[in-house]
Amino acid sequence: MHRRLHGRGALLDVDPAGLAPRLVGLRPHQHRAHPYEHPDEPPFVMLTGARGLGKGAVLAELREAYRGHTPVALADCAEEQFRAPPADRPAASWSPLGQALLVIAEQLAEPVTGAGRITFPRLMSGLVAVAAGGWGDADSERIRREVERILLLNEGGSWVRGVAGRWAGKVAAKVVAAATGTGPLVSGAIEATLESVAEGFTSRRHQKASVWYRTYPNAGGNAQRGLILLSQHFRDGGGSREHAERYLVRALLADLTEAYAGVLPRMQRLGRPLVLLDNAQSAPGPGLVAAVLRDRAEGIADRVAFVAARRGEGREELPGAVRRELPEVARRCDWAPDTAPSSRALLLALPPLSPDDTLHIVGAVCRDTAVPPQLSHAVHRLTGGNPLGIVLLAESAAQALPGPAALGELLTAPLRAAEDGPAVPAYEALLDRLAPAEHLDELTVLAAAHDHGSACALAAALLPDTFGPASVRALQTLLAEEGLPAVPGRFVGDPFVRTLLLLRLHLRDADHGSWRTAHETLIAHYPGEEHARYRLHHELALGETEAAVGHLRDTFPTADPLAWLRTLRFVASAPYFHAHDAEGRDFTGRGDRRAAVALGGTDAEQAVPEGVDAVLHLRIRRLLHAVWLLADPLVLPDPQVCDRLRFELEQLSNLRPAGNALLWRASRDWPAAALAGRPMDGPGSATDADHGPDDRSGEA
Amino acid sequence: MARRGVGTWIREGVWEIPLRRYTALLVAAALVAGLVLGVRVLLHVDRSCGPGVARPEGSDECVGVATGPYDFGQSQLRDVVRAIGRENDRLAPGSYVTVAVMLPYTSTSATSLNDIRHQLQGAYLAQYQANHGSNGERPQIRLLLANPGATGAHWRGTAGQLTAMTAGADRLRAVVGIGQSTYANKQAVRELTRQGIPVIGSSITADDLANGQGGKDPYPGLARVAPTNTDEARALASFAKVGAGKALLVYDRPGDPYTRTLQQSFAALIKGSPYEPQPFTPPDDRSEEGTTANTFRQITHLVCDTSRETDTILFAGRHTQLRQFINALGGRGCQDRRFTLLTGDEASYLTHEKELDRGALRHNLSVRYTSLAHPDAWTKDPRPTGGSAADFAVLRQLLTDATREPTGPIGRAALDDGQLIIGYDAVRLAVHGIREAVPAGRTVPALTDVGLQWPQVKGSLRVNGASGWICLDVHGNPYDKAVPIVELTPEGGSRFVRIAWPEGKPPGRECLPPS
Repeated sequence: MHRRLHGRGALLDVDPAGLAPRLVGLRPHQHRAHPYEHPDEPPFVMLTGARGLGKGAVLAELREAYRGHTPVALADCAEEQFRAPPADRPAASWSPLGQALLVIAEQLAEPVTGAGRITFPRLMSGLVAVAAGGWGDADSERIRREVERILLLNEGGSWVRGVAGRWAGKVAAKVVAAATGTGPLVSGAIEATLESVAEGFTSRRHQKASVWYRTYPNAGGNAQRGLILLSQHFRDGGGSREHAERYLVRALLADLTEAYAGVLPRMQRLGRPLVLLDNAQSAPGPGLVAAVLRDRAEGIADRVAFVAARRGEGREELPGAVRRELPEVARRCDWAPDTAPSSRALLLALPPLSPDDTLHIVGAVCRDTAVPPQLSHAVHRLTGGNPLGIVLLAESAAQALPGPAALGELLTAPLRAAEDGPAVPAYEALLDRLAPAEHLDELTVLAAAHDHGSACALAAALLPDTFGPASVRALQTLLAEEGLPAVPGRFVGDPFVRTLLLLRLHLRDADHGSWRTAHETLIAHYPGEEHARYRLHHELALGETEAAVGHLRDTFPTADPLAWLRTLRFVASAPYFHAHDAEGRDFTGRGDRRAAVALGGTDAEQAVPEGVDAVLHLRIRRLLHAVWLLADPLVLPDPQVCDRLRFELEQLSNLRPAGNALLWRASRDWPAAALAGRPMDGPGSATDADHGPDDRSGEA
Repeated sequence: MARRGVGTWIREGVWEIPLRRYTALLVAAALVAGLVLGVRVLLHVDRSCGPGVARPEGSDECVGVATGPYDFGQSQLRDVVRAIGRENDRLAPGSYVTVAVMLPYTSTSATSLNDIRHQLQGAYLAQYQANHGSNGERPQIRLLLANPGATGAHWRGTAGQLTAMTAGADRLRAVVGIGQSTYANKQAVRELTRQGIPVIGSSITADDLANGQGGKDPYPGLARVAPTNTDEARALASFAKVGAGKALLVYDRPGDPYTRTLQQSFAALIKGSPYEPQPFTPPDDRSEEGTTANTFRQITHLVCDTSRETDTILFAGRHTQLRQFINALGGRGCQDRRFTLLTGDEASYLTHEKELDRGALRHNLSVRYTSLAHPDAWTKDPRPTGGSAADFAVLRQLLTDATREPTGPIGRAALDDGQLIIGYDAVRLAVHGIREAVPAGRTVPALTDVGLQWPQVKGSLRVNGASGWICLDVHGNPYDKAVPIVELTPEGGSRFVRIAWPEGKPPGRECLPPS
């Protein structure tokens, strides 16, 4: 029946009811009433999260679920139409918020089951007044075009086809005549509009609407004067415009309230009208949100259910808002408004999807394809439950199968987004939607960095001169605003995005030049012994294992076992995108020799450096490769290797009686964690911040 | 949107939206009501025939009390029904009492219908006279037609209707008519009198549909215009001087009240007769032909086998069987022997009977019977007491007036079967009782008071009927009522022979029944 949204039951479930039915008062996809959780005033729900967490999908599903049952409007604030005024319209008479109100009202006007169109006489009058402010030098054709669209907002449903628009046409002619006449332009247009509203509709509702602007500050009880002031304020810009815009928002909400008031509408309409705002972090989102919240805080009630979605957490914008994870509101919100306007909002973080959801999505996307049994597990381990990542990887698998099914190959396989669209590598398609496009190149380079210093070094080496430390900080701030987690030791905190960025860096040049340069830069950035782990990490990324084996072997007898294990883990978290040649060098051929090394298959041909304990050397080498392989998010853990890891750690624990307990603990925890797809953050990893960058790259 | 089931549509598209829910409920209620109504209309076909008249369950007969000018589908009644309707409509509300004429109007027998028409015409003329020619006496009389069905089978409903009409604006004060002395009619009279409604039998002659038989009054408030069968038989006997050895009795078995009383009366007359009475068994509805014609052919042989002195046949039966018997006698072997067939007033039905073999009357057979009344009675046999030509002349004058407006038209009328006269006299007796019962200063009598008047109808309070004086004894039976003896003529019609008297002589001038 419906394409189900996975893992969002807390929002859309019917029985027991999720947040949406309790908020809107209607069961999704059904025309059946549901009791409100907050009958007086619903919370302004704001979905938060980074890119790709499915905010847009949730809003689209909400619109789908309620379309035809209650008035629904979905406005994506990132759309082009909200960015700039149309070519021939002066900026003085146009604002993103005004445009958004028009778009929202147009969608809300649509008839629903049981009730007809909603008219917006108040909003229409206001928008005409605002538009009239920009008609100073306009030709009548342009005025007609602008005004007709606004006038259609007041068009009630008519069962005689063709009548719709007739009223609008008549009034448009009148307004055009007034605007191009000799009198004062704005007041003429406003007068014509108001007259038409009052004349054309004799019902009490329209009479009421035509005098609504009487209460505009300083209007002195004169609706026309109120509208002229509104138009003036709008043109003045700045705070005055905000004031005018807030009044326009109020007009929209008042029209909606009017549409739901009275005996007949109450017997016709179920639930609340639903307004959905996507990308509410960009204009006109914040203005609209602020206007609604402020009105509600001031006691000007409306009956609209708002669900907005914004990137990032919105802490600055809505400081007083209640914060909840989506699963927490599955049964009730525990939300009560405070005095502050922002307290009327409910910030709702979308969590990643569960392994079960991943399995369902992969199954749904690859319905016609036989998928390898481990694929959904691998996908979940790599993406960490990112819905967009799961869907795109599943689609990539659906298009590539039967064929290579390894994650690395699926990421690089060409993926057609649309039937006839151009095919781009899957990782490019993912980054296109998971990372800010305008900073993708910089992020690609800086993904390898660990902190501000290393990032600056990388920027100096690989990025244009204009991109200095300030730009690095700006980028870091942007990432935080985008809602990407901040992880110490990682410039890009989200492991999935980081993996994709690194893959992009790796594949940027045919000979992996940038990749090599980046890592070499970082190796050079960390010359000191105290930063050996960084140096070794990047050397390992370049395929050089000897130094790492040597360092670990030499420090094993003396170092603190905990620190030693942490170093091992961090070094082995180096990315591995390509097969390495016999020397371990990056090489374009296929095949992954890490398993062979870890299982001791290459021990015989390995030359052990002189003067070292050959057994320990080989054991450390096997251990390093095992951890490297098991921490690789692109490769599924091999049970055999896990077994070997356990064995090697056990053996090592025998050599260090002092650290026996820790090593033995790791020998049990790490293989189990790896097999389960959890990060191998074994003993003592938590709350140990002074050890600097923690390695969490082993996580799935 | 996916295609949804009807159930979902009703649940979500109608039920959930209050406006549509209430509208739908209203529409559904209206539909159900309409459906129920429609089904009821379809199941209950309109059984009404006219105001007050309807077809009972399981019958196509229109029975009941017609409160409007309804002719029960009989075209020959139309004129008189209209005339009655006109007269009824003329009456101001509150000024009248109602008298119902109860006769089997839906009878299919042409003979019966003739009689019914004549009786009704007489009743109407009496109404007209009471309302127009009685010096403004009150109350005025409204006449209604009450039909218990052709066989009287639906008497119960009709009696119920009549009972209901005693109260309210109808003010029913008497039921007149009744007709044949059948079992159903007896039941009807019993019920009506039990309800206190005075009943005046017009052509009832049966002994057991009368009071005073064996000293009992089973029908309190019943009065009769016609003499009982016993009286008729006594009158016949006094006329014919029948002896035991000279007569043969032919009778209906098992018979109805009329034939049985006639049979008993005849049997008493010829007590000690050497001839065994000959029974015949007609169908239940005695207006049907049945198989009795064969029986009568056999009886004809017996008639011829009697000794030469036997010249009288006493017939206790209804008119259809009488006709069959006369036709059979017409073909008897002993045509040379002269016979006189004596029977009761049923023979008057044969006056205009087309199926009667009138040739039989030319072959030494004369059919004489007691008539209820005869137009020639007082002109051809004038008497000082018991009735007068002057009383009859009033009716004749009324009848002449009724051929044109404003009294008429009342349809084709005839006097010689006596039915018109007897109908007229019955209603006159009713009017008399009603008006005598009116208390001083009032215009309407109490229902029960009307019936109490009957014992007083004697002496100077007698009714000088067109058929003769009507003096009632304490049981409501006429005392020494003139019984015209009539003979059927071969030409069709009847010939008055002379008046006979149950007491053997006319009553005294004071006309007082002996105690």
